Amino acid sequence: MSDVKKKRREVLKNIGRLVGYGVLGGVFAGFARSLWPNVLYEPPKRFRLGKPEDLADGVNFFPEQRLFVFKKGNEIWAISAICQHLGCTVNFVQLPEPKVLKVGNLEIKEEWEFHCPCHGSLYAGDGTIYAGPAPRGLPWYYLEIDPATGMLIVDTSKEVEKGWKFKLA
Amino acid sequence: MSLKERLYKVWRALVWTFDPADRAEAGKAITRNFWLHWFPPRMTKRSLSWSYSLWLGTISWVLFVILTVTGVVLMFLYIPSVERAYWTIKDLEYSVSWGWFLRNMHRWGAHMMVAAVFLHMMRVFYTGAYKNGVSHAARREINWTVGMILLVLTLLLSYTGYLLPWDQLAYWAITIGVKIAESVPILGPKIKFVMAGGTELGQPTLIRFYALHVMGLPLAVLLLFSYHMWRIRKDEGLAAVEQFRLAKKRKDLQIDTSGEEPVYSTPWAVRRIVLVSLATLVWVMFLATFLDSPLEEPADPSWTPNPAKAPWYFLWLQELLAITTIRTPWFTINGGFVGGVVIPGLMGLAATVWAFLDKSPAEATGVWFHKSRTVQNIVFTLGVLFIVGLILFAMYFRGPNWKVYWPWAWPELPEII
Repeated sequence: MSDVKKKRREVLKNIGRLVGYGVLGGVFAGFARSLWPNVLYEPPKRFRLGKPEDLADGVNFFPEQRLFVFKKGNEIWAISAICQHLGCTVNFVQLPEPKVLKVGNLEIKEEWEFHCPCHGSLYAGDGTIYAGPAPRGLPWYYLEIDPATGMLIVDTSKEVEKGWKFKLA
Repeated sequence: MSLKERLYKVWRALVWTFDPADRAEAGKAITRNFWLHWFPPRMTKRSLSWSYSLWLGTISWVLFVILTVTGVVLMFLYIPSVERAYWTIKDLEYSVSWGWFLRNMHRWGAHMMVAAVFLHMMRVFYTGAYKNGVSHAARREINWTVGMILLVLTLLLSYTGYLLPWDQLAYWAITIGVKIAESVPILGPKIKFVMAGGTELGQPTLIRFYALHVMGLPLAVLLLFSYHMWRIRKDEGLAAVEQFRLAKKRKDLQIDTSGEEPVYSTPWAVRRIVLVSLATLVWVMFLATFLDSPLEEPADPSWTPNPAKAPWYFLWLQELLAITTIRTPWFTINGGFVGGVVIPGLMGLAATVWAFLDKSPAEATGVWFHKSRTVQNIVFTLGVLFIVGLILFAMYFRGPNWKVYWPWAWPELPEII
């Protein structure tokens, strides 16, 4: 067999291998891709909390969304109830009397705290982590009023800065 | 041939005896039998002894078979739906005939299998059974690696299994498991998304774990187990055989192997396999009869049980990930990643790689606690004690809010398993 023929055979063999592995790889990539959902049948991240005047003064817990909504005077704010360590639902703990908690060089005035039952993360009243394994504080979420219905709406895909509060007109 | 001999021949043809007349028959008895054909015709007495292998590999396999059989029956009775899963388990407990027994056998089989596979790994380490001795063909460190993967698969099978009742234990175990995946830097959120089949736990999550539990993982175990067995043959038998080879090859070592000459696999091995299988089955049935499986309340995403404890074989990981969050002024690394991925990953990797690095002499192959391996045996034991210590600490000293309590100061004692 001439060298050219030999070379041609090698090239054709390699093309064959490439096509074979390519097809196998493509098929498996497709199978893997099918496990990646395109449509989610989940409750929406943006939802109504009801009329603001129906919220109780102080804490309101929305179990389905795992969300605390607080109301004080004309201010409303929303803090997640999902622990930032590994996702357990934190417990709301009312303090017997308001106190000032020092976290680093922050001074936080608080009337309640959030305690995680799973691995003992402790959060101050504004969601700041002060003990335990959680790597960050509890997120605060964006609130708005739907002008058409007057309903209070929270968007848990939109995190806001700690201390951001919605003011009722 | 006398009538008596003739009758005896007929009798033997009718009921197979495990007592071959000669070497050829002994070989055929093995190679012509579907269930036994992967055994050699003869084995050394040492490989078959109770005290060398403790038969932990066989026990693990028998448990896998028990789990497969009970699991298939359970598949007829269980519905992998978030609305109905919990209630089909309740039905198993209260309305299906023998449902409680099936579930208990499956659950105890699973607990026993985790323990048996782990103890099997310990046995192999302490006997230096991943070493090749004087064999030129053996690559036993490969089988050690395969065994490590089988141990991980066993843990994953248990994990995916205890999620299926969709009770509080299941729900919060999934939550923590999925979040551990999410805590991996960069890729984490994507892994979590594909594990859970969405941004939160629900039907897609349950069906994924179900498919893995009843098909994906058992198939992987079956494949790797077959390879594990094939390798034992290609590695020229259990490591204990190396002592026999050494005794012949190196008279200076003066290894005493008298009374350890190879014997026919049938009846010697077969009899013990049947005995071990029966004993394992009886033990699982005994546990299943007297110890009921717990079922917590239906899954409730809004409320986490306090304390929420993982099953015993994962408690050491739970303890680790609760105390390993790393904080620096510049960045924070979630303990979920450090304690849930990095530390156990490195421990597993170290144990796997060690089989390739162990340079102890050939005579340390296939014997318990050889003196040339004392240091590594101590290090390995410390690793095991580290795991066991963390499990016991988390089991008895962790109370509500994961705080440390004296075990007797608990309002009610924590459940052991």
